[in-house]
Amino acid sequence: MSGFTISRRKMLAGSAMLLASTAMPALGWAQTPKKGGRLVLAADSEPRNLNPAIVASNGVFFISSKIVETLAEASFDGKDGLAPRLALSWEGVDDGLSVTFKLRDGVKWHDGKPFTSADVAFSALQIWKPLQNLGRTLFKDLASVETPDDLTAVFKFAKPTPFQLIRNALPALSSVVPKHIYEVGKIEDNPANNVPIGTGPFKFGEYKAGQYYKLTKNTDYWGKDEPYLDEIIYQVLPDRTSAASALEAEEIQLAAFSAVPLADLDRISKVPGLKVITKGYEGLTYQLVVEINHRRKELADVKVRQAIAHAIDKDFVVKTVFLGYAATATGPVPKNDPQFYTADVPTYAFDVAKANALLDEAGYKKGPDGKRFTLKLLPAPYFNETKQFGDYLRQALAAIGIDAELVNNDSAAHIKAVYTDHAFDLAVGPPVFRGDPAISTTILVQSGIPDGVPFSNQGGYKNDALDALIAKASETLDTSTRTDLYKEFQKEVAADLPLINVAEWSFISVARDTVGNIANNPRWAVSNWADTYLAG
Amino acid sequence: MSPLRRFLRTPEAIAGAILLGALVAMALIAPLLFPGDPQAIAGPALLPPFQDWSLPLGTDRLGRDVLAELFHGARTSIAVGLAAAVAALAIGSVVGTLAGFAGGLVDEVLMRITDAFQTVPSFLLALAFVSVVGPSLGIVVIAIALGTWTGPARIARAEVLSIRERDYVASARAIGMHPLEIAFREVLPNALPPVLAMSSVIVAAAILTEAALSFLGLGDPNRVTWGGMIAEGRAVLRTAPFLSIVPGIALVLTVLGVYLAGEGIVETTAVKRGLS
Repeated sequence: MSGFTISRRKMLAGSAMLLASTAMPALGWAQTPKKGGRLVLAADSEPRNLNPAIVASNGVFFISSKIVETLAEASFDGKDGLAPRLALSWEGVDDGLSVTFKLRDGVKWHDGKPFTSADVAFSALQIWKPLQNLGRTLFKDLASVETPDDLTAVFKFAKPTPFQLIRNALPALSSVVPKHIYEVGKIEDNPANNVPIGTGPFKFGEYKAGQYYKLTKNTDYWGKDEPYLDEIIYQVLPDRTSAASALEAEEIQLAAFSAVPLADLDRISKVPGLKVITKGYEGLTYQLVVEINHRRKELADVKVRQAIAHAIDKDFVVKTVFLGYAATATGPVPKNDPQFYTADVPTYAFDVAKANALLDEAGYKKGPDGKRFTLKLLPAPYFNETKQFGDYLRQALAAIGIDAELVNNDSAAHIKAVYTDHAFDLAVGPPVFRGDPAISTTILVQSGIPDGVPFSNQGGYKNDALDALIAKASETLDTSTRTDLYKEFQKEVAADLPLINVAEWSFISVARDTVGNIANNPRWAVSNWADTYLAG
Repeated sequence: MSPLRRFLRTPEAIAGAILLGALVAMALIAPLLFPGDPQAIAGPALLPPFQDWSLPLGTDRLGRDVLAELFHGARTSIAVGLAAAVAALAIGSVVGTLAGFAGGLVDEVLMRITDAFQTVPSFLLALAFVSVVGPSLGIVVIAIALGTWTGPARIARAEVLSIRERDYVASARAIGMHPLEIAFREVLPNALPPVLAMSSVIVAAAILTEAALSFLGLGDPNRVTWGGMIAEGRAVLRTAPFLSIVPGIALVLTVLGVYLAGEGIVETTAVKRGLS
């Protein structure tokens, strides 16, 4: 709202805000998109490699998804939950051996060269399949990509690959990078990994370590009239407590990925001009999981694992650790997943007496000091909530006579300790559910994964029946049979507890109410923001 | 006049003694007043102070009793402060005595090592050491001692340099005592008083360093520490400031107490020397 003229509409809007601030803090009102402006937002990490085709992770997407686009993006109302980006349509063949993409016409790279199917073929075969953290498993059977013309790419698979899986993977795994930039030299060392070149609505502008990333408008973008913003500045604010004050001081207009601590949301939702938005992360569900090292003889006993599950008060965790901004979990697929989730699995109600009985039954009686055995507990340091849950879990285990010794590490040391050295008994981890169990969920429990692969089964768990189920589901083409197999998978995991799913959470954005078109898709924070605008 | 009464003559010393006494009392009665695990969940989360008299200082983000944590945190602070000071004084006086008594090349080598340690900021040294070895109470004590032993070492050396020329040292040599025996049985005990005068500064610094390490998440996670409590409370500083303020005040009072008592001791010894 610029100027000092007072109009009826603004008065109404103002009084609506007053009402809204007491009742519904996140209420907005209709605004027409406006061109121009600079959006300043908080960034809490500074990824060095900004190539989303190699590092498919939310920290990288947060910045690079505005520069490098994928074939399709997640959508609330699109068919199969997808909206077209670089691809206009995708079609699978019934035998599961090929998928045809029709590409968008008239798209140009930021350096002016035209975008063609050759770029898609190069990205898929040279980067997604051999180099990408998630693509390595998903595209392992990709044999070739045929390019009959500049706007058609046909993926050929050596083994049948379910079309549903490919579809579900498109938003996160299909970042297309320019062939003419990457075909020279080693892909991992390409300077474009730090200064990305893409087709997206924003070009990479500048990066000052410890200060900011600047993205500038791509005036040649394929979207009509898009993007609206002239610039996006990612202000590096590694300290989580500073984002809230920066928002209040109007230094930044947006803090995504829960940069504002949950405990501060209640207070900040009452600040005039700021809104708290819980939507826009539906496709990025994080799961709070207790990872178990099955090499410990006590933990190899399913009764002990069940006892631990019974000892955890999931409602307390959601209410106290997440302050209500989470849901309790029943199994390895989150409740908000529309395709695969089933509630029909064994559950473990909070019951300390039963947990104690199970441990007695398993033969681990309490010693004279009230302790049964001692475990090493490693909470992942990435989130406040994982650390706090670690503190809670230690108390919950103490109540059933298990003495847990907390070991705090920084991120690098935690990943090494858990996923390479296996120097843990219990760990608290936050794996991500990415819309299909085959993308990053089955890997948490299947056996035969080499040491050192982060966010995979490194607890030495081996269950032949479960492995067979996962293998069968990965080559089942029929969507409904495949979905049923994954429901079976959820039951089996909940019954045998290779790991314990405690809660599911997503993130919260806090923005000034001038920022428009927020949270309009399920992966909003990591989508391209072509239609995001600043009013007033 | 007895040393104690002489000590209690200055108001600083009285204030310091009261503060330290309270701290020691807190540490001693903590297990009696709050038996069991101080980190156990005792009530609803984020209860403000003075609301519920069974939890007088309220609860933290998980519902743990802040008062119980405060009392048990005093134990950690005292333990770390004393252990680090003892370790630093022990290393420092041994190194200083050896350097001062042996002289020559040994002196050069030991003092250059001391210089090397002294040029690195002691907090950075502790930070680096703990992040490499991993946080636990013993490691934190060693890390703090690593950065603080240089002061005692230099003072001990200076004292030894003057003492070793005294007649009784010469006579010890004359009766054929082993040089090491002379150094540690004759010289060191006489060089100690000025070194010990540093102890209050070292204890105060050690308590602060431990709190700072815990604040940065490098304390022992299995123990309550005041620094850790402040760090925990920082995330909710705007909504529940008492979580940071309460342990912060405790920390300030403790360091103040140690410092004032230290001043008192210095005054007392100075007066004694002046009288004799």
